[in-house]
Amino acid sequence: MPLLTVSQINRYLASKIGGDKILQNILVKGEISNFVHHIRTGHFYFSVKDEVSSMKAVMFKTAHHNLKFMPEDGMSAVFSCDVKVYETGGYYQLVVKDIIPEGAGKQSVALDQLKKKLAAEGLFDQSAKQSLPHMPKKIGAVTSLTGAAIQDIIRVLSRRYPICELYAVDAQVQGESAPDSICRGLMCADNAGCDVIIVGRGGGSAEDLSAFNTEKVARAIYACKTPVISAVGHEVDFTLADLAADMRAPTPSAAAEQAVPDIRTIMEQIDALEKSCHREAEKCISKAEDSLKALSSALSAQSPENRLKLMQQQLSTLESRNSSAFEAILSRLDSRLNENIARLDSLSPLKVLERGYSLVYSGEKLVRSKNELAVGDSVQLRFHEGGASAEIKEVW
Amino acid sequence: MEEKITFEENMKKLSAVVAELSKGEIPLEKAVELYGEGVRLAAVCKKQLSEAQIKITEDGGFAAPENNYD
Repeated sequence: MPLLTVSQINRYLASKIGGDKILQNILVKGEISNFVHHIRTGHFYFSVKDEVSSMKAVMFKTAHHNLKFMPEDGMSAVFSCDVKVYETGGYYQLVVKDIIPEGAGKQSVALDQLKKKLAAEGLFDQSAKQSLPHMPKKIGAVTSLTGAAIQDIIRVLSRRYPICELYAVDAQVQGESAPDSICRGLMCADNAGCDVIIVGRGGGSAEDLSAFNTEKVARAIYACKTPVISAVGHEVDFTLADLAADMRAPTPSAAAEQAVPDIRTIMEQIDALEKSCHREAEKCISKAEDSLKALSSALSAQSPENRLKLMQQQLSTLESRNSSAFEAILSRLDSRLNENIARLDSLSPLKVLERGYSLVYSGEKLVRSKNELAVGDSVQLRFHEGGASAEIKEVW
Repeated sequence: MEEKITFEENMKKLSAVVAELSKGEIPLEKAVELYGEGVRLAAVCKKQLSEAQIKITEDGGFAAPENNYD
């Protein structure tokens, strides 16, 4: 037999009970007793009992700060809770997440179930929400035409967007016939060519919200082809109507604000559009001016005066090129002449004669070979200085 | 004639004129024409807004459903 510690047993029981789905996320009905609001921790400690037995319960500060009432001894209620083991103390208790007072509790549970059912059908899906038109022409209002709500709506619309048309459908918002009346009003507005529909009632939290928590009203809102804004006039509670609507507003005035743009904003938009008109037109004109300038300067470049000027320029350029070319040729010729003179000088026979050679002429002809001579021929000799005549005596 | 065209339609037209003008690649003559149209539309829109008076239609046919229902 294993030897166990107390902690081990408590831990085992904690995991056992904590893992049991039957004991988690449950609704427990009972009466509150021995209620203590623990000052230091801020938690609620109490017992939940019925005629026969009782159970310890705790509601932590984080859970009860949303509670709209203070629990007290003798209060009958439904507790939304988990059963947990308090390991240190070795006892089990209800860890309460919400307290729904009896009476209101029954309705609330039914409403909760209805909410879950409609949610499962997709009535509250974000993807099903229609977006509101930016500038609605016709606004439908389904509410009591003798109530404050319609006056609020008219006041806001007149101030913000007087260009719209209001289609006000009278509907009872309280009492037994209210749900049917609201449904018919919605259908009426939906078929009247409205761009957006506001459905709701005036403020005053004491008023009954139940018509807006009925299944038929939620379905009627969901069925509207026109975007619907709910304005049930309650800051905190979300009714089924709010959840099914495309947009929720806390009050009818707020709904009217959401339904239409502000005329001042529209005026600013018009001004901005007008300014863009000016700017864009000016851009077009300056662009046209630019291309005109470019064309006219291209044109004046082609004028006769300009061409003449251009040709004169070309002529003077050619002239100067011509004369410089001529001068270059001249100087080149000059240097070549000097070169030739120098070469001529070095090749001159007179230079050779200077060195002691003589030239022999037969008549006008320079004698280069003995074959040109015969004995007895008369020849002329030419020296560096002067000349002489001679007769050929012998040829060899 | 302008009264027949709704404010929303005029606003749409004005936006279209500005969009057309902003394209840039349009002939000058067309730009001048569009500009004139834009200025005219802006004036009409402003006039329509400033003279607007909310129009209320009441439908009380279903105010008391228990009387004509059931």
